[in-house]
Amino acid sequence: MSRIADRKVADPGLANGVASLTPEKIEKVVNQVLKGETGAKLKVYQETCMRCGLCSQGCHFYMSHDFDPSYSPVNKATETMYELMNKKGKVTPDQIYLMAQMAFTECNLCKRCAHYCPIGIDTGYIMSMVRRICYMLDVVPQYIRDTSHSHASTMNQMWVKDDEWIDSLQWQEDEARDEFPDLRIPLDKEGADVYYSVIAPEPKFRTQLIYQAAAIMHAAGVDYTMPSEPGWDNSDMCMFVGDYENMGRLKRAHFESAQKLRVKRIVMGECGHAFRSVYDMGNRWLGYKNSPVPIVHAIEFYWELIQQGKIKITHKYEKPVTIQDPCNVMRGRGLMDKLREVVHFLCEEVVEMIPNREHNYCCCAGGGVINCGPPFKNTRMEGNRIKAEQLKATGVHDVVIPCHNCHGGLEDIIGYYDLGMHGKFIGDIIYELMEKPEL
Amino acid sequence: MHRKNIVKLAASMLTILALVAFYMVPVAMSQDDMTQVPADAFGTLERPRVAFAHDAHNEKAGIEECVVCHHGKTEDGKMDKENSSEGDPCSSCHAVKPTDGATPLMRAYHRQCITCHEAKGAGPVACGQCHAK
Amino acid sequence: MTEFYVFVSGPLAWIAWGFFIIGSIYRLVSMYALAKAKDGSSLAYMSLPYSLRSILNWLIPFNTMGWKSDPLMTVATFLFHIGFLLVAVFLGAHAVLWDTAFGISIPSLPGGFGDAVSFVVIAACAVFAYRRLALPHVKGVTRPKDWFSLILVALPFVTGVLAYHQVGPVLLMTTLHVLAGELLLALIPFTRLSHALFALLTRSYMGSEFGAVRHAKDW
Repeated sequence: MSRIADRKVADPGLANGVASLTPEKIEKVVNQVLKGETGAKLKVYQETCMRCGLCSQGCHFYMSHDFDPSYSPVNKATETMYELMNKKGKVTPDQIYLMAQMAFTECNLCKRCAHYCPIGIDTGYIMSMVRRICYMLDVVPQYIRDTSHSHASTMNQMWVKDDEWIDSLQWQEDEARDEFPDLRIPLDKEGADVYYSVIAPEPKFRTQLIYQAAAIMHAAGVDYTMPSEPGWDNSDMCMFVGDYENMGRLKRAHFESAQKLRVKRIVMGECGHAFRSVYDMGNRWLGYKNSPVPIVHAIEFYWELIQQGKIKITHKYEKPVTIQDPCNVMRGRGLMDKLREVVHFLCEEVVEMIPNREHNYCCCAGGGVINCGPPFKNTRMEGNRIKAEQLKATGVHDVVIPCHNCHGGLEDIIGYYDLGMHGKFIGDIIYELMEKPEL
Repeated sequence: MHRKNIVKLAASMLTILALVAFYMVPVAMSQDDMTQVPADAFGTLERPRVAFAHDAHNEKAGIEECVVCHHGKTEDGKMDKENSSEGDPCSSCHAVKPTDGATPLMRAYHRQCITCHEAKGAGPVACGQCHAK
Repeated sequence: MTEFYVFVSGPLAWIAWGFFIIGSIYRLVSMYALAKAKDGSSLAYMSLPYSLRSILNWLIPFNTMGWKSDPLMTVATFLFHIGFLLVAVFLGAHAVLWDTAFGISIPSLPGGFGDAVSFVVIAACAVFAYRRLALPHVKGVTRPKDWFSLILVALPFVTGVLAYHQVGPVLLMTTLHVLAGELLLALIPFTRLSHALFALLTRSYMGSEFGAVRHAKDW
């Protein structure tokens, strides 16, 4: 069994945070969170977990590290949260460093282990609460900390300025009008059927996704709008940092921006964690049982358009593809059948990964892990050999990946393991195949 | 061994068995030589039979009156500790599966023995002590 | 010795049951109060149909990812839990206790079968012990309290089998057996064995989240 102490990764965010800690401060903050923010759920989990180890095979880290027990979910909970609870917060700053590294970078909060625990223990929740404690102690990996600072300052993830946002949309509208002369990206259109929302990395460096979405909306004749004001970014790294106060601010801004425009519903791009933040975590922090505005994920939206015959393609994608099932929309929202119907509608041949659907292996990028940046890239690469093997076994070259985090994670793995594959969003494929006006 | 000897041996064993069986008849009728709690009413037994030497037990326990164990039945079907019922087997009132609301035979046996032994702090009380192998 | 047995099987049994029943009610009620105070965002999603769906699916051996991942553990844990309940309630000798003490007749296991089930339960405990000793991913997270609860459940079965087969002094063995059973009963609410009280609730919660919110299987 390896030990987390032997694989300590240097990170300025963790190091600087730990440098200002004292045992007294740790004890105070740990107990403040345990008493103030956790309750029966955590207590019962710690008590009823029988330490049977069945969760181990649920974790891609455990599977990828040749069954190293250090990576099993129960061990991660034992070395972090259970230790904090047993010691009532009496741990050293150096222990906090290691706990933070484990919680932020060696667990993707994908909840795959939930399918393995007979008692129903939610290790993802336990690790989230470890992150919450680390955040309250200001011990957070630097890169994701910066991302959450961006959220707090600009209400978007990528330090995108208000005018840059509008500019990016108008730029894409301009570009697209070469191909679709009467295409519009309507801003702030009150009462539209659809409020289209994206994550900030789209205007920042995946602008073509906005272009493609606009093309699809245009071709399908959807009455949609995009907001010009902050609130347009549906992403939420604060949720993964443990900064729940700002998570709440972001979700409130997002929901209210849609409410102000009196739209019928929000349609979101192909992103997983943003979906988690609206149906699972952000909404609950704000006291909503369900999101106050109906929210539809791109997979489901495309599925609807296909059902209604609004997406017309010239031909099917000829090369065989495989499908990556993102945790937040599969295990999180049960969209596996709709995803398959969409992909089968678009592609000639689908080769499934095994296991798949809600039993899919995580991409190892989600849960904020990829956002912890370059210091932890190897953690992700070595921690997901199982996914590389799974991808390789399909023998195909194209992977349909309806999630930004999965995209980043899988592209990295494909490069690291030299798999010669390429990831595609559903939007990429629809755009490639759709009927376009002849100019 | 010769064939003749085998026949001789078998014959003598049969004789012994027959004699034992013959002598057992009066034993079953009298309590003087009672050695076991009667359990035939139960059919197939789950546990070993319970040894019970009637006279030796009563001598050791200092029981003079029959009614201490052989209680009777009142008119409304309750336990009568005044009038004894010696001579009647327990199973004549306590059926194995009673339909008249009486205490079932096994429960009657267990209560009869264990309650007294516990009260006196003497005699077997645990399962395997009576149902010894 | 007889007097001690009488004490153990009489007043002490009431005390053990008292600990078990009052302790269990206390733990469940106080935990529910804590959940209401602190876990409103989880309680709100509890759903009976999805709870039952989850419990039922986990009651089927090899039906879930967890059960499929470790066949030895799956067989051992199913046999253990079924055997434990069967023996605890329906063993012939236990049925006789109900019958003698309270005049309640319940169906009971045939002697030989009850005996065999007891041995199976002991074998399952041996599997649990083997896993804690030999499998790195179990050994690494095993603490003294895990061993304590395993010994706690194994003891009544070991002493029970010895008493039934009359190995060693019968009265002593029977007394030890009753004591071990009472210790187990009294400590269920206060040890790892409290999963007997809470596991259905954690299972139900996970089932409700996956069914009602996540629209996915939790098995």
